[in-house]
Amino acid sequence: MPRPDPSRPDPADPELPDQGEVAAEGLDALFTAAYAELHRLAATIRRDDPAATLTPTALVNEAWLKLRASSNLAPASRLHFKRIAGRAMRQVLVEAARRRNATKRGSGLAPVTFEDLAGHGLSTPDEVLALDEALEELGRVSPRQVAMIECRFFAGLDVAETAAMLEISEATVLRDWRAARAWLTHALSHPD
Amino acid sequence: MDAARWERIQQLFHVAADLPPSGRQQFLEHECGPDAALIARVLELVEADRQEGAAPIDAGLAPLAVRLLGTMPKAAIPEGAFGPYRIIRVLGEGGMGVVYLAERAGVGGLVAIKVLRDAWLSPERRERFALEQRTLAQLHHPGIAQLHDAGTLADGTPWFVMEYVEGASLTTWCRDRGASLAERLRLFRSVCEAVQHAHEHAVIHRDLKPSNIQVTADGHVKLLDFGIAKQIDALETSTDQTRTGHRLMTPAYAAPEQVSGGRIGIRTDVYSLGVTLFELLVGRLPVALADRTPAEALAVLLQDEPERPSAAARREAARSNDAGRLLTEDRASWADLDVLVLTAMHKDPARRYGSATALGRDVDHFLASAPLDARPDSLRYRAGKFVRRNRGPVLAAAFGLVTLIGVSTLYAVRITAARNRAVAEADRAQRIQRFMLDLFEGGDASVGPADSLRVVELIDRGVREAQSLDGEPVAQAELYENLGSISLQLGRLEQADSLLQRSLRQRQALFGPRHADVISSLVALALLRVDQAQLDSAEVLARRAIEVGTDILPAGHPLLARSTTTLGRVLEEKGDYPEAITVLGAAVRIYEAQRQETPDFAAALGELANTHFYAGEYERSDTLNHRVLAMDKRLHGERHPRVADDLINIGAIRFQWGRYAEAEAFYREGLAIIESWYGAEHYRTASALTMLGRALLFEGRLDESDRTLRRSLAIQDRVFGGGHPRIASILNELGSIALRQGKYAEAEAQYQRMGRIYTAAYGSEHWLSALATANLGGVSYERGDHREAERLFRAAIGTFANTQGAEHQNTAIVRIRLGRALLGQHRAAEAVPELLAGYDLLMPQMSPGSTWLQRARVALAEANEQLGRDAEVARWKAEIADSGRAAAAATAARK
Repeated sequence: MPRPDPSRPDPADPELPDQGEVAAEGLDALFTAAYAELHRLAATIRRDDPAATLTPTALVNEAWLKLRASSNLAPASRLHFKRIAGRAMRQVLVEAARRRNATKRGSGLAPVTFEDLAGHGLSTPDEVLALDEALEELGRVSPRQVAMIECRFFAGLDVAETAAMLEISEATVLRDWRAARAWLTHALSHPD
Repeated sequence: MDAARWERIQQLFHVAADLPPSGRQQFLEHECGPDAALIARVLELVEADRQEGAAPIDAGLAPLAVRLLGTMPKAAIPEGAFGPYRIIRVLGEGGMGVVYLAERAGVGGLVAIKVLRDAWLSPERRERFALEQRTLAQLHHPGIAQLHDAGTLADGTPWFVMEYVEGASLTTWCRDRGASLAERLRLFRSVCEAVQHAHEHAVIHRDLKPSNIQVTADGHVKLLDFGIAKQIDALETSTDQTRTGHRLMTPAYAAPEQVSGGRIGIRTDVYSLGVTLFELLVGRLPVALADRTPAEALAVLLQDEPERPSAAARREAARSNDAGRLLTEDRASWADLDVLVLTAMHKDPARRYGSATALGRDVDHFLASAPLDARPDSLRYRAGKFVRRNRGPVLAAAFGLVTLIGVSTLYAVRITAARNRAVAEADRAQRIQRFMLDLFEGGDASVGPADSLRVVELIDRGVREAQSLDGEPVAQAELYENLGSISLQLGRLEQADSLLQRSLRQRQALFGPRHADVISSLVALALLRVDQAQLDSAEVLARRAIEVGTDILPAGHPLLARSTTTLGRVLEEKGDYPEAITVLGAAVRIYEAQRQETPDFAAALGELANTHFYAGEYERSDTLNHRVLAMDKRLHGERHPRVADDLINIGAIRFQWGRYAEAEAFYREGLAIIESWYGAEHYRTASALTMLGRALLFEGRLDESDRTLRRSLAIQDRVFGGGHPRIASILNELGSIALRQGKYAEAEAQYQRMGRIYTAAYGSEHWLSALATANLGGVSYERGDHREAERLFRAAIGTFANTQGAEHQNTAIVRIRLGRALLGQHRAAEAVPELLAGYDLLMPQMSPGSTWLQRARVALAEANEQLGRDAEVARWKAEIADSGRAAAAATAARK
């Protein structure tokens, strides 16, 4: 028997990324595959010298090559894939940061520290989560800028690729980037 | 900050950042006037812009990604992580996970908890783990270790709780106790029963061996480790093992088809049972594989005929092994044991026993000194011919399960007995069908479901076999109804339609129009029409079922109660709530008069609760739902899909009350049960995901909501097709999301599609169609076309008031929206009565801090300001502040 399926006239304040022209179902499969592949690659790398090889760009490129070779995900363009992989990368990192924190709290272990990374961009799980939250907030007023950060920062696309992906000029990318960068810098250094 | 403000800040920032500090202040003061906050915001950004390398996105992700995704510290398991279970110690560790011995707090019984290690590594791992859990959930047999409970740790790691079996392996137990031949065979007989139970649930163990067969101190057998077990239909559609099998079976007990990549089936387990019996009787394995290379081992398993157990036992006896003593017990019988073991272990699956039951029955024959069913090859071929001549009754038994039990092993002189038995098997098969049906429905028997997406194959085969039953129209019609109902459960509506129609026509031809079986077909078909959104047709069918039933059935007959419930359900779907409440109330009274709690009773009560819900009578619905929840828990246990439905219904009521966090908690509890029963790709999982997605949306947890809703949409698009009302409710969500992003064209397109679907299914005078209209009005409002918004809101209010009532929450909300649209046209005097009416209707129905109430207050303050009513303005501003504080306090209290 079905259950009540209530709908109501209006939701709160949602935000969704622009999904382009990929059909929902294909996107779902693509995202799942990208996500799994990124996990796998990260797990492979942890057995080697950490700092050596892992960059988002390398991960995304390798994931793309593998998926294209092995799956029926062909209709999506390479750029589209990278755009989505950027989201996947963000999500993987946020999830990992949450796990770190959960582990930390749940077990009473000492917090994980990253002395060698201090002062260079993001250095703790909390900062990754803070960035994620700040991006959420930014996305509410400007989804395009979040998409741009996912392309450039999380998926490693260059300015030209990002511009092509978002169908805006390179000048706009640079301009949007500068403002978003300033906003994020302020948001993360002045938490509410 | 809103989008326009952010746009303005950026414009100023781009100019200001490139000005010298002295000019900057001047520029901003000129641009911003008295808006000091704006100046401050821009200056913050300029300051941040000047900090080289300080931005979180300046450095690459690489070092941190390795840190975060690299080796996790191996966490100790925190106290209370497994709910009521307290870990005592580790029992074992494997590639997939860890098994702990634990104790249930308070109750004190010992259990085993299996935990998936590194669940986050891949979906495949989680899927495999979930599969074992689902498999165990289906099996309820004293000879199989039971699943008790399941859950996930805070970090998402799944675990499940099983019966803890303290025992020794089958062979060890027998050796240590010096068990006699008869004792060994009786134990083996119980093993066959447990395996047969799994087979009847379409589960193949695939890794049967003495170490997975434990015997407790008091001599009870328990099968363990369904870690590589498979659903029968999944196996028969593909022959691959390496891809899905992260762990291969133990070669010494593996059937030839298992090592060569052939088709796996019931007889694969029969083979492993044969090897186990060999070892139990002889004291060693039939072939020694230990010193061989994998290629040699493969060749041995595929080609070498095993030694006869009697000969092997004699040689072992010569080495004064265990088997020597068994040999002396009953030397004459060993010839029969040879036939029995070698039949079970035949290299050709077709020549093995057809089932674990058939094997067990021959063990019985042996123990009773009766002739075996099994005979050497030459005689068995003749039996095969018999089977081919008697396909009718045998096929009635089929339905995907290989139930040619015993029949294939009969020989010529016992043909009469064989026919009787085949007919008996056909009866049994009907019971199996009933059972399978319950399985898919989330069942009335206390069993779990099969993984429905893969059951599709099974049904197709069932249909083909039903078609060949022309000689037995009664059984055939029943099979059609069963298969049709199962197809409906699986969302294959066209197939269900054709099967149920065939069943109805056949029964009408057989019995005439006035017969209980005809009523049953009518009810099944009516339920299908509901899912097809053909409600008029559904009503005609349901009413005919009641009419015939009232005529020919005694009052209080279950079929009559079911027909009445079905009509109520149809009326509910049509939106005729007062009538639906009357009809469902009548159905509930029929059940109450029987003074017995049954699943159908609970379902009727649940339907009544739903109807009150739709009618906006949430308190009444809540009370009824709690009654249903308690009844379902008593009927089915704590983790049953019906219990999950009840939880979700209760969550939906909390959602309507604006208590989203509570709603989320109920939804999650329900979703966990549903997903563990039906799997991640089932439409029921999708519905639960939709509800959860909405709650998350209202809690402002947008990323989670986004993922949840799109997952649901993808599943439902696949299952129902794009024109189904179920799709429409998700389109509503996605439309609202687009609206919030300012993508008006997209929002409009989603709502229009939603409106088309609802209007096609329910007509334009239905509250769901009105919902689409109201939301289209919302798009116009956001675009600033307040006149068009007004038109649409007025149309929606008319329909809501007619269908749900003038005081319903939906009517109230749209009146507030209308008031805002009027205010947007500077018609404050007209706006105030709409806003006030909506506000007064909504106040008792929602929590004071909810969005629409707050919007109404803001609009009322503004409207009164325009009208120059200062006292009213002050009143509404005070209300705004109060409820803002109340909402903040509530948020703080939750945290």
